[in-house]
Formats: sequence, structure tokens, C-alpha cells
Amino acid sequence: MATMVSSAGGLLAMLNENHPLLKLHALSNLISLVDYFWPEISTSVPVIESLYEDEGFEQRQLAALLVSKVFYYLGELNDSLSYALGAGPLFDVSEDSDYVHTLLAKAIDEYASIKTKAAESNKEAIVDPRLEAIVERMLDKCIMDGKYQQAMGMAIECRRLDKLEEAITRSDNVQGTLSYCINVSHSFVNRREYRSEVLRLLVKVYQKLPSPDYISICQCLMFLDEPEGVASILEKLTRSGNKDEALLALQISFDLVENENQAFLLKVRDRLSQPKSQTSEPVQPQPTEPDSTQSGSGTASGDVQMSDSSRTSDANAIEIDPSEAMYAESLTKIKGILSGETSIQLTLQFLYSHNKSDLLILKTIKQSVEMRNSVCHSATIYANAIMHAGTTVDTFLRENLDWLSRATNWAKFSATAGLGVIHRGHLQQGRSLMAPYLPQGVAGGGGSPYSEGGALYALGLIHANHGEGIKQFLRDSLRNTNVEVIQHGACLGLGLAALGTADEEIYDDIKSVLYTDSAVAGEAAGISMGLLMVGTASEKASEMLAYAHETQHEKIIRGLALGIALTVYGREEEADTLIEQMTRDQDPILRYGGMYALALAYRGTANNKAIRQLLHFAVSDVSDDVRRTAVLALGFVLYSEPEQTPRIVSLLSESYNPHVRYGAALAVGISCAGTGLSEAISLLEPLTSDVVDFVRQGALIAMAMVMVQTSEASDSRVGTFRRQLEKIILDKHEDTMSKMGAILASGILDAGGRNVTIRLLSKTKHDKVTAVVGLAVFSQFWYWYPLIYFVSLSFSPTAFIGLNSDLKVPRFEFLSNAKPSLFEYPKPTTVPTATSTVKLPTAVLSISAKAKTRAKKEAEQKAIALKSVTESSAGPNTGKGKSPSEKEGDSMQVDSPTEKKTEPEPSFEILTNPARVVPAQEKFIKFMEDSRYVPVKSAPSGFVLLRDLCPTEPEVLSLTDTPSSTTSPAGNTAAGQQSSASAMAVDEEPQPPQPFEYST
Amino acid sequence: MDAKLTEVLQFFERFKAACLRNDFDSANKLLSQLKVQLTEFRSLPPLFENSRNAIHELTVARDIYEDAVILSVKLEDQDAFERDFFQLKPYYTDVGNRLPASPQQYPILGLNLLRLLVQNRIAEFHTELELLSPIDLENPCIKHAVELEQSFMEGAYNRVLSARQSVPHETYVYFMDLLAKTVRDEIAGCSEKAYDYLSINDARQMLLFSSDQELLSYVKEDHPEWEVKNGYVFFQKAKESAPCKEIPSLQLINQTLSYARELERIV
Repeated sequence: MATMVSSAGGLLAMLNENHPLLKLHALSNLISLVDYFWPEISTSVPVIESLYEDEGFEQRQLAALLVSKVFYYLGELNDSLSYALGAGPLFDVSEDSDYVHTLLAKAIDEYASIKTKAAESNKEAIVDPRLEAIVERMLDKCIMDGKYQQAMGMAIECRRLDKLEEAITRSDNVQGTLSYCINVSHSFVNRREYRSEVLRLLVKVYQKLPSPDYISICQCLMFLDEPEGVASILEKLTRSGNKDEALLALQISFDLVENENQAFLLKVRDRLSQPKSQTSEPVQPQPTEPDSTQSGSGTASGDVQMSDSSRTSDANAIEIDPSEAMYAESLTKIKGILSGETSIQLTLQFLYSHNKSDLLILKTIKQSVEMRNSVCHSATIYANAIMHAGTTVDTFLRENLDWLSRATNWAKFSATAGLGVIHRGHLQQGRSLMAPYLPQGVAGGGGSPYSEGGALYALGLIHANHGEGIKQFLRDSLRNTNVEVIQHGACLGLGLAALGTADEEIYDDIKSVLYTDSAVAGEAAGISMGLLMVGTASEKASEMLAYAHETQHEKIIRGLALGIALTVYGREEEADTLIEQMTRDQDPILRYGGMYALALAYRGTANNKAIRQLLHFAVSDVSDDVRRTAVLALGFVLYSEPEQTPRIVSLLSESYNPHVRYGAALAVGISCAGTGLSEAISLLEPLTSDVVDFVRQGALIAMAMVMVQTSEASDSRVGTFRRQLEKIILDKHEDTMSKMGAILASGILDAGGRNVTIRLLSKTKHDKVTAVVGLAVFSQFWYWYPLIYFVSLSFSPTAFIGLNSDLKVPRFEFLSNAKPSLFEYPKPTTVPTATSTVKLPTAVLSISAKAKTRAKKEAEQKAIALKSVTESSAGPNTGKGKSPSEKEGDSMQVDSPTEKKTEPEPSFEILTNPARVVPAQEKFIKFMEDSRYVPVKSAPSGFVLLRDLCPTEPEVLSLTDTPSSTTSPAGNTAAGQQSSASAMAVDEEPQPPQPFEYST
Repeated sequence: MDAKLTEVLQFFERFKAACLRNDFDSANKLLSQLKVQLTEFRSLPPLFENSRNAIHELTVARDIYEDAVILSVKLEDQDAFERDFFQLKPYYTDVGNRLPASPQQYPILGLNLLRLLVQNRIAEFHTELELLSPIDLENPCIKHAVELEQSFMEGAYNRVLSARQSVPHETYVYFMDLLAKTVRDEIAGCSEKAYDYLSINDARQMLLFSSDQELLSYVKEDHPEWEVKNGYVFFQKAKESAPCKEIPSLQLINQTLSYARELERIV
């Protein structure tokens, strides 16, 4: 066995020798021994250092390497790195050792932080060239080895866009790398400006590709706010004459709409028409001219978009040139999509036809709620509105007009506004629906101001973020009234309809309402101004802040505080000065607004600085309101990483301060909304039985938000929660506060006819402005119940809607590769008497056993008789979702659940377009290969364009034919009459319900 | 035997001859060359590669370093001693069992202990001691050093000084002289603290000098801050009372208050 040296002492002593050869010998031996003897060597570091500093010594780099290694072992990474840099080429980047790995990581961190700091202070970075060399060597090596993802990550960290580009272009799968890069830049690049730079580069790279991925490019461009780019791409695709590319353009439009950036979409739309006339005029001046003037006048009138677009298509029909006609036709389609109308219409139809809301729940609530208790009474109305959001089903209200009439004053306001939630997206008939309640001209005097105000608010909710057609009407109503309740409703309505458009005229109108200094109207005005200016970071904020300091009314200050917060939506660092100003204010209400500003400016970024600040305020502010809001705001900052939230707020949820607990509950509710996340539910569960009533309320609502569309089969606690809600509602001695929470929770749990979820991120991981804003204002219901309706803005339908090139819904089937019971609708509740039978399952055991054997025998017989047939029949059975045993169960109700379990559940389900696909189900969705239609992009939900493989065959359409209003440009009323005439066809556009009157 | 080894052996012979001649300059030069040549042998520490000539090479190298240590004592060069000793040490500790025992081993180990004692590096002295086996401790060379250390610690300085007469090896004399100086410094340091002044006579006895003259020259050289007048030695000047440290009360109060504040914030 080879002898090991027991000490490095001899070699260290040799370092002190005079002869350079001896020193060299000692050094090179020490380097090989340093891994074992670094403690001994560490005492001699000064000697080695002096060797390194000795200019005359030839092997200085060797000395540097040795010192670097010793420092590495001592944990002094900074010193270690600086000596490693001194070692020059001797520091081998490709060496596979902990030392090299650690130091490389350190070097890259160092380099990245220098670069970032320099970029943030706008100075030229002063980087040690040796450091730069090491990082570059590392990057090159990664690229050489084919580790493109690492290289890209590092390049982004280090702000080396040149290297990033190199890595992307040299990778073998450029498309994949690019999409990876987009993901990375959204989730890891914290600074907005830099992210824009990265995305700009990506767009550049994308465009160089032979077959660019237009969908991704457009997403990038949208983030960069470059409507011109999107417009030109859309135009190029539609003009190409290729059907597939035209489909792609439609798909892109739908994807853009999903992000709900109204201002951007409008810009794209306007840009689209403009170049058309310019480019085509020299080629074909005659036919295009009338068209362009048409569309020009159309946008000018801007009242009802649909009639305008149909006129354009009429004009195009006369055209001679077929390709130009085709272009015009698809342009009309794209414009329709971009205006949001197409998707809203389709969604409306989907929600109407698939509505599975359970009226019995509402009935139970209604019966158990005491007559005198107005809070619970209006809570029930809220719950009804939320449950039927967007479905246009108002049966419950219609059936209970007497009961409804008990709502007075503000309750009446919200009852009327509730209609807006129910009819959300009913753009064409919205106004005629609300007509009976709207203020009747200047003469007025007809209805109560409360229902009039509520109706205006309702109009806003119907047209939320798509208010082109209704803005003018709302403005007029606002101007023509002095009643503060109506002003309140009109302000909210205007804010919703003109969300984020930054329309100066509307702003001035609202401002004049604000300056009347009326508490009720001023509050709504403040919020409304914020809604109007969402994300513009305009200097209007300082104007609002100044007025907030001036006024005496707390309500106005609060409204303004929220409004100011809304203006900085998504601006991240840009908002810092404003946030600083607000959070340092004397007035707790403004500090409270500051929390919202933090939440909205850093929404979904999981920015550490913002989290730190919020946590600080959550524990140190003197005002309970501010603390509550600070915790709540965490939910907004973290919604892109819902898994984090329960961990971060878990301590806060055990706070002694009930306000902090309440905030924690809502924070979880907001950030984990619709995820059904197990940790979130575990955190909320104890809070639902808290000692303080409002904490219970918050926890119940938050729990409902988390559990929305989670079926009992995937988490049994959903069932428990439903029973808990029922218990609270039925319990006579329960507090009003928690009762109200339970009622609202049942509404949210079954929101939108059980077909919507709360989603703050679009499928491309962009934030959905409307949804986030909606939840932010919703969380204000603590002070003002009517704001509860804002929650409807955050609902997004969980549907797969496949469309053909005519934007119609063809019959199309696809697979969901999971047990149907995992994602099915909750079973409708039965009449209360049924609950007693459920409690006694043991009594029927023998029967069920018999039934089981019977079923088995039957199955065996069948198997013998129809061996081959059973297999083929399995498909259609599951497709219907109900097995034959279900029919049997009808007669023997108690047996059916047990018997069903015995039957092996199929492991897949065939869904038919349009289908409900809940978020958790998305990963199981598969498209069938032999299908007639092929999706343009394989998205498991949302609007997906389908390519028809046999275009010659007639298509079977499964949803509605054509949206009624497009076919009948004559007017809305005509369409309404038509559809009512065509009786009860399910596919038909829902008819406008007859107005009903309050009996007060 | 390969050429390199023969060359080393030749150099070694010349080096030994130079040592005998007390021609230290040329001995030093030869030694330096020898050391460089030794680095080329792969059988030597720290590589210890096994080869045919390994044992022979190791033995030669060990002899060279032993002679180098002894040369450094002759030159009264403590740094060189330390350097050479450390390079020699692996030959005793790591490959000692493979080589024929060296007659020089114990004297050199003893010398090293003595050196540590002289330099007042007591901790290292004991570390070295721990590395030796009980049999080694019985060796007179080692025993001498151990006894010296014990006397030194006990304060039996007279025994330390008298031990000079009974050195086990002629090379020890240099260190023993140095040790006497160390002892004297120790006593001087203690007296300084213990007395305000001493009569010259007492001081001479205390510092174990044989004549007043020696005492005066010692004071002049090593302790110029002492004052000699009227037949007394005054240590007054050396005693500069260091002010005792104040308690940082304000800082402590502030800290406590901030803790209290932080505690309040805990949720």
C-alpha cells in the first residue's frame, strides 16, 4: 500500500526555501494535497499570497489557485473567487469538482449582480475582464455541450442578450427553446424593462425563422404593447390566401382576446383597417374604396359594433376580386373577435346551454334566511347572481318576486345590479333588458333612484371591458342626474365599461362628480377613475391623491385610494415612488390604498421586495385595516405561484389579530382561486370555524374560491365543505356575518352555472387584467356590499370551444383520459327529506348485495351472449355519462349509489364540442387522430380553431347556428322577437326575459 | 543504482566534507542544490511512489535533511532549522517503519522540542510530545527536554540553568544558551509586575546573574525602560496601568428596548 503523507508541514516549510524550484515543487504538490490538508495550509496562506503578489515569481498563478482552493474550503467564496480569477487559465472551467462548480456559480452570480446593478442605475458596467472571460467561457461551453437551457438561463441572468441569441439560434430545436425562453422570461425576469428587452430579442429571433410561430410572437408583442406588429402579422396571415394561415390568424385573435387587454385590442383593430386601404389602393383602387370608407364610418359611429361589421361584409360581397373579398371577409371576422364580441357571444351560448345551477340550493337558503334579516336577504340575491353569472337564467328571481320585493334602498340597488351579473356579456340586448329600470330621460321620476342606479351599474357589468356601445349612454345618464345614488351606479358602470381605456372625456365627467364632494357618489367616482386608468400610471394619480388629502369623507378617500392603486396596475418598479408616498401617509386609509397599489403593481410577479414590504406592514402597521389589506395583498402578488401562498401566510393565519387572519384567508382564496390546492384547503379549514365571525366569513368565501369546480371525487373535503355551508345556513343561532359568508360561498362554489372558474392568469401565463381588477375591487366588499359583483369579472368559462373557419361550432369529439366522475358536475341536491335516508345506508345493505349479485349475473349473461357487442357498446354508454343501472336506480333510489360503485368506471370519457373542461382536467385532454377536425393549436381549453380535413362534406353544427344579431342586422329587438318566435330550441340564443316590477 | 542517485550521493559527500571543514557557505550552496535534486525523486514525500530504489533514496534523503538540520544549528539559524526539520519529519513519521533507524533521530527530535521551548511555543511543544510513543519518551534526548519543560513550568529556573551542564548532545548547547535567556526574560517580566523596585543585589540574584556588570548590560539592552539609580532598579515606568473597560450601558439599554419592540411585533 502506498504511504500517505501525514502532514503538509514539510511542503509548507519548503515554501520558505529560497530556491524558486523548491517553491514550485512545494506549490504543485500542495495543490494536489489541498483537499486533505487545507486546515494546515490555511495557516500559511499569507506566505502563499505573498508568492502570488511577488511579480518576479514565475508561477504566480499556481499560488493563486492554491490560495483560492484554501479559501474555498474556508467558506470565503469572495476571496476564493478573486484568487481564482488571478489563477487565469489554470482555473479549469470544465473540471468536474465541487470547487469548480461552486466557484462558477459564484462567478456567474457575481457577474449577474454587477450587470443588473449597472443596468438598474443606467451606468456602464465595470466588470473585471477576467470575470467576464470566465462567464463567457462557461456560456460557450454550455452551448458547445448542447446544454442550451442552462446557457439561456445564464445569459438572461447575466444580461448577455448576444449570448442568449446565440444559444437560441444554435440550438437544435429552436421552437422549443424559444418557448422555454418565453416561460423563463416571464417567471424569472423581475424587472419589467429588461423583460421587454428579452422579449424584443425573442421576437426578432422568431421572425428570422423559416416558419415562425406566430402565436407566440403575437403574445410577445402584446406584452411589449406593439399593436403594429400584431396587426401586420394578422394581415399577412389573412392575405396569404392560405386557409390554414387564415385560421391561424383567427386563433391568434382569440388568444389575444383572452388576455383582456381592451386598450391594446382596440389599437390592433384600428391598425388593421388602416394599412388595408393604403396597400391595396394602388393595386385595386376601385373596389376597396367604398369598403375602407365603410369601416372608417363604422368605427366613428362606434355604437353597436356588430351591425357595422355585417354591413362591411355586405359591401364586400359586391366586390369583384375573390381574393380581396376573402381578405375582407376574414378581416371582418378578426375584427369581430378582437372586439371581444365573438368570444363573449360564444361563451354566453355555452354558459346558457350548459347551465347546471342547482335552484334547490337557493331555495333552501331562501327558506332558512329570516325575513327581517336584510343582510342575509341581499346575500341570497348576491349568491343567486353569482351562481347564474353569465347564464342569463333569472328563473329564481322571477319565481320569487314577492320575496324579492323586500329589498329596499341599497338592497334594491344591488338586486337590480345583480341582473347585470346574470346577463353578463349579453351585449346586444343588455340595454333592452335593463330598460325598465333605467332612468327615463330628463323627466325621470319613474322608478326609485336605487333601482335606476343599480341598473346603470348592471349595464357596466354586462359590458365590462367591452363598453364601446354603451359608454355614451352611461355618460349621458351620469350627466343628467344629480341624485347621488344614480351617480354612484353610473360611475361604477362607466368605470367597468371603459375599463383601462384612459378616455379623457369620461375621466373629466367622473371628476366633476368627485368634486361635488358627496360621500356616496365620490366613493364610486374614485374607484371608477381607477378603473378607467388601469395600468396607465398616468399623472392623474397625483391629482387623485391631492383630492384624497383635501376631502373629509372617509368613503371618498377610500374610493380614491383604491383608484390610485388601480392606476399603477402592473407597472412594477415604476410604481415605487407612488407606493412609497402612499404607504408613508398619515392617513391609514391611504396606507391601505398603498397596500393595494403594491398588490396590483406587482401582481403575479412574486417579487421578493414586494412580499417583504407587505409582510412588514402586515405585522407593524398600527391600523387593523392596513394590516388586513397587507396580508390580503400577498394573494395578488403571489397568484402566479399559488403553491407558495399557503406556506407564506400560514404563520399569519394563526395570528392573534383577527384582521390578519381574515387577510390570510382571503390571500389564500385569491391566489389559489380555482386550483383546489390541498394545502390551501388545509389552511382554510380551521379558519372556517374561527371564534371571530368575520374571519369565518372570509374563510368561507376564500374556501369557495379555492374549491370552485373541484369535484368531490378529487377532494372529499369539497363535500364536507358543502355540508358545512348548509349547516351554517340552516343554523338559527349562527352569526349574521358568517351566515352571509356561507351564502356567498355557496354562490361562488357553483358560480356561473357550475361552468366557470376564477382564473387570474390566461393560458399563456399572462395576467388577465379584468380578472385581477375584478378581484381587487371585490375584496372591498368589506366596506361596501354591492362591490361583491366585481367577482364576476374574474370568472372565466371552463370550456373547450372548437370553431371552424366560419367561427361556427361544428360537431367534434375528443377524449378526456380520466375517470368521468373526477370532473363531473356535483350531483343536484335532493329534496330535504332525502338527507335522512342517506344517514342510514346500513339498512339497505342486504338489498344492495342482492342487487350486486343480480347485476353480476346479468353482466355474465350478457358477456356470454354478446361477447363482441359489449365492447363496442361501452363507448356510447360512457359518452352519455349515465349507465343503464342508473335507470334501475330511479325506481330504487337508495340503492343506486352503492350499485354504481360496483360497476367498473371507464377510465376515459368522450366529450363533445363545446364541452366543459375544468382546469384540473386539462392535462387529460387528448385529441383523436382519426377525427375530421384537427385543432390549429393543441390547447385543451378555451377557443380553438379547427382545421377541417374534408371541407367538401357538409358540417354538422352542434351549438347555435349563427349569432342571431349578425344574421339580422335590422336591430336587436327584431332578433329578440325572432328567437322568441322560434320557441324553445336549446341551441337558440336565449330570449330576453320579460321585465318584472318591484311591488313596492 | 541510477545516475541521479549517484549524483546526489556525490553531492552529499561533498556537502558532508564541507560541513566537517566548517565551510558553511559552500555547504549551504551544496545543500540547496541537493534539495532541488531531491524534488525529482518520486519516491520521496509527498508522493511516496514505490520503486526499486525507494528505500535507498528515502534513506539518502533523510540523511541529507538530518545533516541540514544539524548544519542549521551550527549556523544558529532557527528559521532554517524549522524549515529543514519539517521537511525531515515525514521520514520519521510516515516511512520511519520502512527505513533503518537513524542514530540522529532522537537528538534531532529533542532539539526540536528544545527549540519550541526556547521560542516559548509550549502548545506546539506538547503537540509534538503527544506524537511520540512511550518508548521514545524514555530516550535521554527526549527526557532531557521534557524535564526542562517541567522545571520551566514549575518556576524552578535554577534547575533549568544548571541543566546546561548535562546536555546529552553537543548540538544542544546553542539552544540551552537561548533557553537561559528565555528564562531570564520570564523572570524579568514577573519581577516587573511583582515589585515596584529592587536593590541591585537582589535583582542580580533574582535574574541569576553572576555579576552586577552583567545585570547592568542586560538592563541596558533588553529593558531600557527600567531605571537604575541609588543602587536600586525601578520598574515604575513599565507599569502603565491600563484603564479598565467601561460597561457599554447605553448600547445595552438600546438593545434591550429594541428586543422588547420586536417582541411586540410578533404575530
